[in-house]
Amino acid sequence: MVMRIVEIVVSPIIAFVIGIFLLGLSRKIMARIHWRYGPPITQPVIDIIKLFNQTSMSHGRLFNLGIILSLAGSMVVVLFLPIGKLHPLSGSGGLLVILYLMLFGPLGIALSGGEAANPNTSIGISRTLVLALGYELPLILILLAVMSHYRSISIVEIVRAQQETHWSLLSFPLVVPGIAYLLILPAILGERPFELIKAPQEISSGPMVEYGGKYLALATIQHAFSSFISIALFVNLFLGGSSNPGFFIMKVIVVFVVEVLINAVFPRLRIEQAIRYLWRWPALIAFAGLILVYIFKR
Amino acid sequence: MSIEILLIVAFGGAFLTYFLGKISHILRDAFAVLLSCALIAFISYFYGKDIERPLYVGFLEMQLLLRLNTLSWFFAITVSTVGTLSIIFSLSYIRQREKTDFYYFMMLLVNASMLGIVLSGDLVSFYIFWEIMSWSAFLLISYNRGPALAAGMKYIIMSVIGSIGILIGILSIYTTCGTIHMTQIAAQLTAASSRYIIFIIITFSVGFGIKSAMVPLHTWLPDAHSQAPSPFSAVLSGILIKMGTYGFLLIMYVIVGMKLFLGLGSGLFSVNYILCFLGAVTAVIPTFIALLQNDAKRLLAWHSIGQIGYIIMGITLGTSLSIAGGIFHLLNHAMFKALLFLTVGAVEYRTGGVRDLNSLGGLIKRMPVTFTAALVGALGIIGVPLTNGFVSKWLIYKSLILEQHPFFAFAAFIGTWGTLLSFYKFLHNMFLGQLPEKYKDVEKAPFSMQFSMIIFSIVIILTGILPGIPLKVINAIQTSFGFGPLHITIWGIISETGTINMVNIFFALIGACVIVWLIFRAGPKATKITQDNNYAAGAAIPKDRYHYTVDFYNPLYRMIAPFLRDFVDEFYMRLAKWIQGLGNGVRRIYTGDVGYYVIYIILFLAVLIFIQMKWSIW
Repeated sequence: MVMRIVEIVVSPIIAFVIGIFLLGLSRKIMARIHWRYGPPITQPVIDIIKLFNQTSMSHGRLFNLGIILSLAGSMVVVLFLPIGKLHPLSGSGGLLVILYLMLFGPLGIALSGGEAANPNTSIGISRTLVLALGYELPLILILLAVMSHYRSISIVEIVRAQQETHWSLLSFPLVVPGIAYLLILPAILGERPFELIKAPQEISSGPMVEYGGKYLALATIQHAFSSFISIALFVNLFLGGSSNPGFFIMKVIVVFVVEVLINAVFPRLRIEQAIRYLWRWPALIAFAGLILVYIFKR
Repeated sequence: MSIEILLIVAFGGAFLTYFLGKISHILRDAFAVLLSCALIAFISYFYGKDIERPLYVGFLEMQLLLRLNTLSWFFAITVSTVGTLSIIFSLSYIRQREKTDFYYFMMLLVNASMLGIVLSGDLVSFYIFWEIMSWSAFLLISYNRGPALAAGMKYIIMSVIGSIGILIGILSIYTTCGTIHMTQIAAQLTAASSRYIIFIIITFSVGFGIKSAMVPLHTWLPDAHSQAPSPFSAVLSGILIKMGTYGFLLIMYVIVGMKLFLGLGSGLFSVNYILCFLGAVTAVIPTFIALLQNDAKRLLAWHSIGQIGYIIMGITLGTSLSIAGGIFHLLNHAMFKALLFLTVGAVEYRTGGVRDLNSLGGLIKRMPVTFTAALVGALGIIGVPLTNGFVSKWLIYKSLILEQHPFFAFAAFIGTWGTLLSFYKFLHNMFLGQLPEKYKDVEKAPFSMQFSMIIFSIVIILTGILPGIPLKVINAIQTSFGFGPLHITIWGIISETGTINMVNIFFALIGACVIVWLIFRAGPKATKITQDNNYAAGAAIPKDRYHYTVDFYNPLYRMIAPFLRDFVDEFYMRLAKWIQGLGNGVRRIYTGDVGYYVIYIILFLAVLIFIQMKWSIW
């Protein structure tokens, strides 16, 4: 019981620290690729502390509630997601629950931003949801391939099965959906070339435009959480998770760095180009993967 | 107390309401509400009882009987709850309109006939109540006149075709089995050939498929739901189309029986997989058509079809989990879709009949309770955790994945994403964003409307956190069909393949919310500003509309719209036009001039004489 409570406290803290670290790391790597020196790796932390002490403005109850719900939802996802051996609540629901709890993040921000009458926010949210539909289509196919292959909807079971045999990414039919996941990961993270949701030059950072002060701080923390979650999901499903939180975190960081290195050189896509890309190659590969899994049933 | 009193009260009360309305409106309203509440009380009293009683013996020497078991109790309580709350909502919604006596009479009659359907124990009384329901629904759909008349006509034509299907099925069963009692038929059909059973299922499926609006028999629904008065749309979408699903459950698992039904055909071509496939199509395509709609009620109507797809998938897949999911989703859909129609009704009532999603906006400032209700309903239909929709969808997904139907599961998931997109649009375009100048003084919804909406919202959240309450009844239903029981607890389901515990998820979310809220509170207090303050940065903003609503998902629309025409409806309409053309052609023969008729007769005789002379047949 005590162990359980410790796990419940520790898991979100790990996710928070690593998520923030990833944000700083991505800015640093991006800067080096651009031949700049770049900000210190702790810059996001400095930003959050600074923002938290600034004054802010609010549009009403939903404006506050949405952002709280968004961050709270992301924190809860971490409790269901195995980080090494830490998975305090995974007994209360499996992968399907994770998939649905991940909705709280974008939905909370969408509801909160909606209360402000700012067309830039609305355009940003419209893009968020369309892009989400874009990457969810291959993502669902990928998750279904994994769940059908292991005949389980429990993420802990899936991790255990991989530790008994080998990583999904290195086993035959599942390598195909694994590649598809790598192709859509930048879209899930909202990194280049899919940073069209914020697109500061076009729509003044979209859903974030009405946020200032502590609201922006909470939104940044939420972004850190969701970055961690989408990579941790990949590590759990395809890289065999880990029995040790330390190794797990290393895997997360490696995947993130590879992703940033590849994608830093791309320019931003327009939303319809993004959808067209996501529904063409990743979706086709994921679909092929699902068919292969269906054919090569264990 | 016996169950025929229930029906006598329901039908008698409906007639009495009409005549009370002639005396006093207040008396009528009070009586209608009391009657509906009394029906709920009556039905709750019958919880857990198993009754079968002859109703009337003399009908063509056939015995009509009433039967109450867990299945019919479950449907009866759903019908009476949604019916009552819609009546309460109607109190203010319909007050200013004309023919209100007729409206209440028909509302109560529809509810009474639905109770009759679920309580009848033989096919003839089932059919009689079915027809009462169909026709009284027709009168209510056409209540608004204008385009509603055409919508009602479309509905009743399709409904009659469906009824003919059901009638053929009943006649065929009566001639083969010689009985109309459901239980006796079930006993006799075990010996029937599988070809005959497929025939029976097809004839009934036409009727039930049309009523439950399964693709490709759905085309009446978008018009009918959007044109009917809103409280009746709630009944229509919440429970009336569920009578079709009740019919499916009845024919599949009560009359034909689970073993026989699941054994029809083989492999991918077995009957239940074909129905499941139709369910998957129904879950995806209508949902994405809904995304393109600009009329709030039409959007909801298309989603009704989409959600029926999930229910059909659940009940036709045929495992304990999937049946439980399908039946639970049916209950949940009744709750959240009725609620959503009521919220649109409230907005419509306060804005003078506007439900165009491109001209509303910002109503959260004026109608906060209505917004909260709409939010709860939308979260329910998306299936966000802590609402009932999540649990039922979870059951359906899980059974589809574990039964190795990943493609059906894919349809279910992608349908959910379509639902999320269109319900964000629904909320955003109506309640969020800029409040237009002309709605600056809109008042909040009247008490009777708020009451119904709040009750529905509470039910959605409560059964979402404690799904064990309805699942206990549902478990009893599916064990009565012959499926293995599920391990239900008050907070969810325990199973080896995946446990779900909604209470834990609830506390985790609440805990996280409290922590984030404390952090939020610790920061400096935010200043409250007007909506356009930040956007305009203190400058004057244009007076006209700048709420981003038209073509909300524009890039997506451009990509998917060409594929999302309602081809089925176009086909039916062309068929109807063709038949009309044929009728016109035939009519041209009858000119009304006696001279022509004389010529026709002479020509006809000439042909006869010619034939006789040539071949001498006679």
